[in-house]
Amino acid sequence: MIRRRWAGLLLVLAVFGAACTGGGDDGGNGGAVNKRDFRFVVVTHGQASDPFWSVAANGVKAAAEDMGVQVEYQAPDTFDMVAMSQLIDAAVASQPDGLVVSIPDADALGPSIRAAVAAGIPVISMNSGSDVFAKLGVLVHVGQTEFEAGLIAGQRFADEGVKNAICINQEVGNVALDLRCQGFEKGLGQKVPVIPVDLADPTGAQETVAGVLQGQSNLDGILTLGPTGAEPTLAALDQAGLLGKVKFATFDMSPRVLEEIDKGNMLFAIDQAQYLQGYLPVVLLTKYLETGALPLGSVDRVILTGPQIVTQATAAQVVDFSAEGLR
Amino acid sequence: MTTDGAPLLEVKGVSKYFGSVIALNDISMFVRAGEVTCLLGDNGAGKSTLIKTLSGVYKADEGQYLFEGEPMDLRSPRDALERGIATVYQDLAMIPLLSIWRNFFLGSEPTKGWGPFRRYDVEYATATTRDELGKMGIDIRDPDQPVGTLSGGERQSVAIARAVHFGAKVLILDEPTAALGVKQAGVVLRYIVQAKQRGIGVIFITHNPHHAYPVGDHFVILRRGLVYGDFTRQQLALEGLVQMMAGGEELENLAHELEQAAAGGTAAEDLRKAAALLEAETGRRQDQKAPEGRDPRPDG
Amino acid sequence: MATETAPPPAVARDERVRRVRLVSRLLSRPELGAVVGLVVVWTFFAVIAFDNNFVSWAATAAILNRAAPLGILAVAVALLMIAGEFDLSIGSILGFCGMAIMLLVTPVAAGGFGWALWPAILVALVLAVLTGLVNGYLVITTRLPSFIITLGTLFIFRGLTVAITRLRTNRTQLGNLDQVAGFDLARKLFASKLTLFGSTFSVSILWWVGLTMLATWVLLRTRQGNWIFGTGGAVDAARNVGVPVRAVKIALFVTTAFAGFLVAVIQAVQFTGSDTLRGQGQEFQAIIAAVVGGCLLTGGYGSAVGAAVGALIFGLVQQGIVITGIEGDWYQVFIGGVLVIAVILNNFVRLKAARR
Repeated sequence: MIRRRWAGLLLVLAVFGAACTGGGDDGGNGGAVNKRDFRFVVVTHGQASDPFWSVAANGVKAAAEDMGVQVEYQAPDTFDMVAMSQLIDAAVASQPDGLVVSIPDADALGPSIRAAVAAGIPVISMNSGSDVFAKLGVLVHVGQTEFEAGLIAGQRFADEGVKNAICINQEVGNVALDLRCQGFEKGLGQKVPVIPVDLADPTGAQETVAGVLQGQSNLDGILTLGPTGAEPTLAALDQAGLLGKVKFATFDMSPRVLEEIDKGNMLFAIDQAQYLQGYLPVVLLTKYLETGALPLGSVDRVILTGPQIVTQATAAQVVDFSAEGLR
Repeated sequence: MTTDGAPLLEVKGVSKYFGSVIALNDISMFVRAGEVTCLLGDNGAGKSTLIKTLSGVYKADEGQYLFEGEPMDLRSPRDALERGIATVYQDLAMIPLLSIWRNFFLGSEPTKGWGPFRRYDVEYATATTRDELGKMGIDIRDPDQPVGTLSGGERQSVAIARAVHFGAKVLILDEPTAALGVKQAGVVLRYIVQAKQRGIGVIFITHNPHHAYPVGDHFVILRRGLVYGDFTRQQLALEGLVQMMAGGEELENLAHELEQAAAGGTAAEDLRKAAALLEAETGRRQDQKAPEGRDPRPDG
Repeated sequence: MATETAPPPAVARDERVRRVRLVSRLLSRPELGAVVGLVVVWTFFAVIAFDNNFVSWAATAAILNRAAPLGILAVAVALLMIAGEFDLSIGSILGFCGMAIMLLVTPVAAGGFGWALWPAILVALVLAVLTGLVNGYLVITTRLPSFIITLGTLFIFRGLTVAITRLRTNRTQLGNLDQVAGFDLARKLFASKLTLFGSTFSVSILWWVGLTMLATWVLLRTRQGNWIFGTGGAVDAARNVGVPVRAVKIALFVTTAFAGFLVAVIQAVQFTGSDTLRGQGQEFQAIIAAVVGGCLLTGGYGSAVGAAVGALIFGLVQQGIVITGIEGDWYQVFIGGVLVIAVILNNFVRLKAARR
């Protein structure tokens, strides 16, 4: 009996060990020898299991390999600003050579970021926080502004003659996504209801969209905020026979989305080039430590990586990159 | 009513240890077919350990276990059940939310059909439950009612009927009357007698000598893991049994105290004589295995 | 020897037993409360959403389609709950199996193994059985509450899914399943659609109903079903009368893992792909569906049909809210509210029935 109990515990440890060693990409500088003796920590609000952030994390890893530096990628399990500030504090305590953060909530994260700056750690922000980074002492911002991206999407929809649109949010509570819908509404110039769906339940998402389609016969535009919202929507439109008839566009890309854009069933995808949001800050920090130089960016040290619209004209070129986790 | 006198179930010199605690110490007892052996003792005497050893939950560390004259090594309670040693625990092994017939056949469900279509024979189960309970004198019109709706005495009876039905040769009952009122206890005792009359050997565990005496053929008294005595009905009256169970310990301790007080005093001789008298009255003296400190309460 | 029973009022008691027999038997079934809840909730939405065409075949189809995957999970979770255990890792197993299939069929150039679909499905099935065995074995040997063990495996399996997928492919989402050999048969089995009354019903509904019927038959008409009730009702008592409690529990953990696998396959085929977050949170919805359907959290009581009705109520509420056009921000409030009411109603009906 006691032996069996030990066997059970050993099994747990074995599985655990497998889990821990299975994902070695976070410590990444791959096979390259450390050419530079720098260690950076990246703290974002998005888990690598999220398709969007997975691409950004891939950018971080690639930059670490290319620069020959050690980089750790950290993020809280869910969209949790308190947890994120604790991660930043922990990172600061480990005395890295540089820190990269996203700033979805300046009030919640401000104190932690200021503490990092005060400790003499150079900080570069990415993805969100383009309007607040400077006053927190952050050196450069690499990203796109969510609200403006939504605005552009809304304007494009208005140009296409859309009058009644919905915005499908697959991760309620994520501030960045809320900003996208708000911008979209402003750009369209009409009231846009936000329809929540569960990114982990594609069947539910599909039926929700089907229900909305059924209930609003004058619906002529749909915006989704990511591939886990876009693909069930495609299924719902297909089932209702409305594929290509309702104007449909999305944020972020996946090979399937790009194929549908290529076929003309979707209008466009908004690309943030989040790969570059992960890649560039690591490069910039490395060079800053070595030379003290910083880019000016498009204005006030903001390097915009988006929004870039991928339309039918360019979709086919991007598919392969998307399939490799680079776009 | 006895058979040829050979014991049906017998344990010889059985001991059981839990770490440094000696739960059972050199226990020997037996039951014959068609007889009731009452196992008496207060709480902490080792009754539950002995039952669990008899029913296959525990394995004895020392000693022999003989069933129908053959030495036996029980592997599990299921093993014991299959050989015909049925135990009815205090919690009755009844599941209150399930119906009577499901409880009746739990672990021994009747089936019909073959292979993947092997299914629970519900009709047989329901009918048999009704009949068997009827034979024991319980009139259950609706075997579908949950067991939890029956009274305590009825539940005990169902448990006993179940054991009898499944061909128990030895029936071990763990404090069946403990939580029952006088009338209900009477009902259960009647069923014990019926089981005995069907040729089953019944081991009836209780701490109530008033329940034990009417139905028992012989009485085994446990104290602190030891067999204090094994008396037949002829050898012991009810009062003697009661005295042995309750208060014997106190008298024991009093005797010791008196002895010690008498060790240095002018009335020493008288006191010593009084102590000796008391000891004689309480029967066999407690062994050298008594604990270090003096235990003032009867339930040692 | 005279056998005496309790002195009558035996006659009066018999009469009472016979009279309420049929009604009380119906009322005492665990599903009844759930069915009442279903009728009440459906009527509620039928009234407030009538103008939005709630009472229609299209809406009914959407509700059934939506409830089917949850229903499959709920039935398995209910069986385990009746035996007194929980499996919180079923959602992670779902994601794990889905990604396992996708990783195996994805072309080698993209980091996969380039297999055909059906061998991949078979491997995923074996993996599911293994995860069920791991869960069951850990619960049996460590004797810790299954709530804790499966909470741990929830994280472990989800973590493995994310880590292994990203390690090999740098991505979290893999698609193009329709281009893999063997897809056509899979589509027929798992993604066919039936068009009735002008609305599309998914074949997953048939899987759901079939599994519910199988589970009901096992619970009520086989020995093993009795063992499940026994294990959940009084585990020591059951063990003592010879019920193989350990085998029952391990078998049921394998059953929940199988349910996760089945839904993973259905969704992978229907959506021609899978992602690393699929199934997250479904374990709690499945437990809620089982409880709404009349299963006791403490075990020993419940039914597979009840869990199916519970899943249906869940789907009904989710779809009803969409059709009613309630503001998106209030979704969670409504779903939670209606579910709590459904459980309270269920409990009320059951207590009323038991008191008769």
